[in-house]
Amino acid sequence: MILIRIALRNLRGHWVKGLIVGGLLFLGAALVVVGLSLLSTIDRSMAKSIVGSVSGNLQVYAKDAKDKLTLFAGMTDGTEIGHVEDFAKVRQTLEAVPGVKAVIPMGTDVAMVYGGNVLDVKLDQLRAAEKGKDKDKSKVVRAHVRKMVGLLAKDLDRMSDLRAVKNMSDETKQAIADVKQGGSDAFWASFDKDPFTALEFLENKVAPLGLNADMIWFRYIGTDLDRFASNFELFEVVDGTQVPKGQRGFLFNKLTYEETIKHRTARRFDKIRDRLAEGFTLKRDEDLQQWRKLNKDQMREITYQLDDRTEPMVRQFLQKHLDNSASAIEVLLAQFMDINDDNFGARYTAFYAGIAPHLMLYSVKIGDVMTMKGFTSAGYPTTVNVKVYGTFRFKSLDKSMMAGGMNLIDLMSYRDLYGFLTADRKEELAKLQAQSGVKPPSHDRAEADLFADADDEVEELPRAATVVAANEVGKTNSEWPAAVAAAPAVESGFDEFAKVDMKASAKKYGEDLFGRVYAQPDIDGGVVRNAAILLHNGIDERQAKLAVQKACNDHKLGLQVMDWREASGMIGQFLFVIYAVLAGSLFIIFFTAMVIINNSTVLATMERTREIGALRAIGAQRSYIRKMFFVEGLVLALLFGSLGSAFGGLVVAFFNAKGIAAFNDVFVFLFAGPRLYPTMSFTHVVVALVVVTVVTLFSTLYPAWLATRVTPLQAMQDAE
Amino acid sequence: MTTAYAATETPIVKLVNVDKDYELGTVIVPALRDVSLSIAAGEFTVIAGPSGSGKTTLLNLIGCVDIATRGSVIIDGSDTKVLKDKQLTELRLRSLGFIFQSFNLVGVLDAFDNVEFPLLLQGKLSKADRRERVMVLLRQLGIEQYSHHRPGELSGGQRQRVAIARALVTEPRIVLADEPTANLDSKTGNSILDSMQELNARGTTFLFSTHDPRVVSRAGRVIRLVDGEIADHNATAEDVAQLAAAAHAA
Ligand SMILES: Nc1ncnc2c1ncn2[C@@H]1O[C@H](COP(=O)(O)OP(=O)(O)OP(=O)(O)O)[C@@H](O)[C@H]1O
Ligand SMILES: [Mg+2]
Repeated sequence: MILIRIALRNLRGHWVKGLIVGGLLFLGAALVVVGLSLLSTIDRSMAKSIVGSVSGNLQVYAKDAKDKLTLFAGMTDGTEIGHVEDFAKVRQTLEAVPGVKAVIPMGTDVAMVYGGNVLDVKLDQLRAAEKGKDKDKSKVVRAHVRKMVGLLAKDLDRMSDLRAVKNMSDETKQAIADVKQGGSDAFWASFDKDPFTALEFLENKVAPLGLNADMIWFRYIGTDLDRFASNFELFEVVDGTQVPKGQRGFLFNKLTYEETIKHRTARRFDKIRDRLAEGFTLKRDEDLQQWRKLNKDQMREITYQLDDRTEPMVRQFLQKHLDNSASAIEVLLAQFMDINDDNFGARYTAFYAGIAPHLMLYSVKIGDVMTMKGFTSAGYPTTVNVKVYGTFRFKSLDKSMMAGGMNLIDLMSYRDLYGFLTADRKEELAKLQAQSGVKPPSHDRAEADLFADADDEVEELPRAATVVAANEVGKTNSEWPAAVAAAPAVESGFDEFAKVDMKASAKKYGEDLFGRVYAQPDIDGGVVRNAAILLHNGIDERQAKLAVQKACNDHKLGLQVMDWREASGMIGQFLFVIYAVLAGSLFIIFFTAMVIINNSTVLATMERTREIGALRAIGAQRSYIRKMFFVEGLVLALLFGSLGSAFGGLVVAFFNAKGIAAFNDVFVFLFAGPRLYPTMSFTHVVVALVVVTVVTLFSTLYPAWLATRVTPLQAMQDAE
Repeated sequence: MTTAYAATETPIVKLVNVDKDYELGTVIVPALRDVSLSIAAGEFTVIAGPSGSGKTTLLNLIGCVDIATRGSVIIDGSDTKVLKDKQLTELRLRSLGFIFQSFNLVGVLDAFDNVEFPLLLQGKLSKADRRERVMVLLRQLGIEQYSHHRPGELSGGQRQRVAIARALVTEPRIVLADEPTANLDSKTGNSILDSMQELNARGTTFLFSTHDPRVVSRAGRVIRLVDGEIADHNATAEDVAQLAAAAHAA
């Protein structure tokens, strides 16, 4: 066709203009292709992450809920999503809906454990040794305890120097005095006279002020662990075992376990190793330097755990490893922690060979019974003892705190913790309240205390160790919402716990329950907060959602249905953010292209006035002239659009081969793994070409109109 | 030179009492006054007259690219006054051929494509027929070997031949040319005129404007314009030359 020939030749004739405009169209098309393929791949991987970890395809929860269900929006405190009263009926009804594979009960909440108070552990050991009249053991442990209390007293002294003493409450002054007394020679001289009274004093007055007595907060999902494990395809046990069928138990998410339960120095060593492996250097990277500094500054995390038996072993090890005859362990550790890019490999190995074996590497070990503290829906403090069976991960999401912050607990313990009175619990709680006469705090007050400004509390609490620990938790767990990250510094919110000896009663309450095996009707027949619905492969989510909602309405279950995108909260909306960024950059590119195309075509129209006039004179209609301009635009658009799409395809193919690394844990989650392998489809190319064509044609509208206004007369005048 | 003002057959071009005024702001410039003429098939007519006498204006009216202020212009049986832009364009495509003073070829197309263009607009002939017709014309005009040259690669004379071929390719009733030799040297101009005379001999009707005496001398009929009025419907070349000489002397 002659018009195409004219268009191509015109393009060649004005190649500079063609290249500029073409370049922009090229870029635009490439961006559309790459952007769309990224978006669709992320959409798919995100679906996999969310659907396959905790959300399922659909979620149901109470219709009359005050708040929207948001699975990944951080902590659920304050969000009131109501209750599902009779899960058994929900399960039975919804599993009958065609396409539904499974309905998994859930309840998400936060709880706290006291992590790694070595003093507590040592005092337990000391008590056991005294009871068993094991003189040798008692001697070693006693020395360790004394050393720890001494260190604590030193810290407190330093604290009271730093802070205005007049601001200190009487309670605080008393606490300092207690610790000092616990570290005094007189106290230890008289220890043998009445070891159990002395122990009690240490346990009740001194230990709560000890280092590492920080509260570790984590999120957990109470669920039917068996059916959770078999239905969420990303679930996988890492350490230990799955909780035995029908029994109570807890599974740590591997990432939570490493991040919050592991010994901090060791954890930092791990993190330094991982980051160095990614190609960062201690020379350059600020995170690495920060971790090195923390390891140096917080040497006490190690020295505190060493006793008379283990300290010499570590000292000797360090002297040999560092070839330094210094005798002070602090000096040796300081030198040891002063790592650089060259010596880190050796130090890492040395740490785990010579130091870590003498440390409590995890404050909660697999197999331990852990005391979880939380609040019931009404604001009562509750405590549940639960056995930690192991750790799990969501496959390929190991590195993402989004998914890694989710721990799992059996539904029975969950109901206890959340205060849905199970038969077991009802009786126990009544007894407990009768005993103590404690009036349960109101929900409001509990929350106010829990989230009181951490800094204010710190002023009053001279707990040097706790403060340090709190600051650090705030840092390392920055993925957690600020309120919770700050919470470990707040002790006053748990005064209620102090007044009730929950530990003892819960222990009693718990022990005979650990072995109990619950039947499926017990597990199902009770309250949950929401439920995940998994669909069979290939079932259309939208239709299934309608069918499920219909079933809920028909059976008057009082439930509302949400798809995973909505249920995941912010993270589900994240795609729109990426989409907006893409749309924004495309807008800029295409807008620039439009302006340039418009301007240059207007110029070209002017230049070609005589030619156009002549064409009109020899019989070309206006419409033909218009067509001529559009064909030129079309050729430009298709030519550079195809080239751009092809280039975009190459870029996608390149990333598909190499993968795009996730920058942070949100992206690990979005990418359903540490790397994203984008794929593209034919539709992306079609969309790119259509967009580029529309943009180009749109920008030739005005110049084309101008061209149709050229009269044949304008060709008649002699060229001056 | 037997053709009289009142031709017996139906004229291709017929103007009756035509006025053309130009508006320059508020001033009205009368360019043509009370012009009546008719041109029959096969004529080789030249419109002569001094600069500003209205030659171009007259050609534009006949070429349907402009509209008379008063009077009627009838081309190939159609009154141009009542036609819309679209119909005028069709009329130009069907009945007229234009040779422009500055050729006005499409710069990015080669000679062949330029000549073929009006046929494509008409869309009547097959590709083979188009090719045949274009090549015959190029051969007649002696530029066959340049069919794949672009205008920029051709001399002025060659370009004008391409323009002539383009004007003729649709076999129009009449070919219009406003000073076709003005941009050519005299030798080239003469050879172009030879070509046109040859084509005229085969039946094509030509209407030129010019003040080139050599062109006038080749005309079958000379219409003399003075100050927008027809001074002579059938002047001789000698008349024109004398008048021109007189004007020059004055
Ligand atoms: N577009 C216009 N606007 C106003 N006046 C015009 C316009 N075109 C021509 N004229 C005037 O109309 C008159 C006739 O002009 P025209 O161009 O037809 O003369 P011409 O015989 O072709 O002259 P030349 O030999 O110089 O080409 C002149 O007085 C000219 O100034
Ligand atoms: Mg003129």
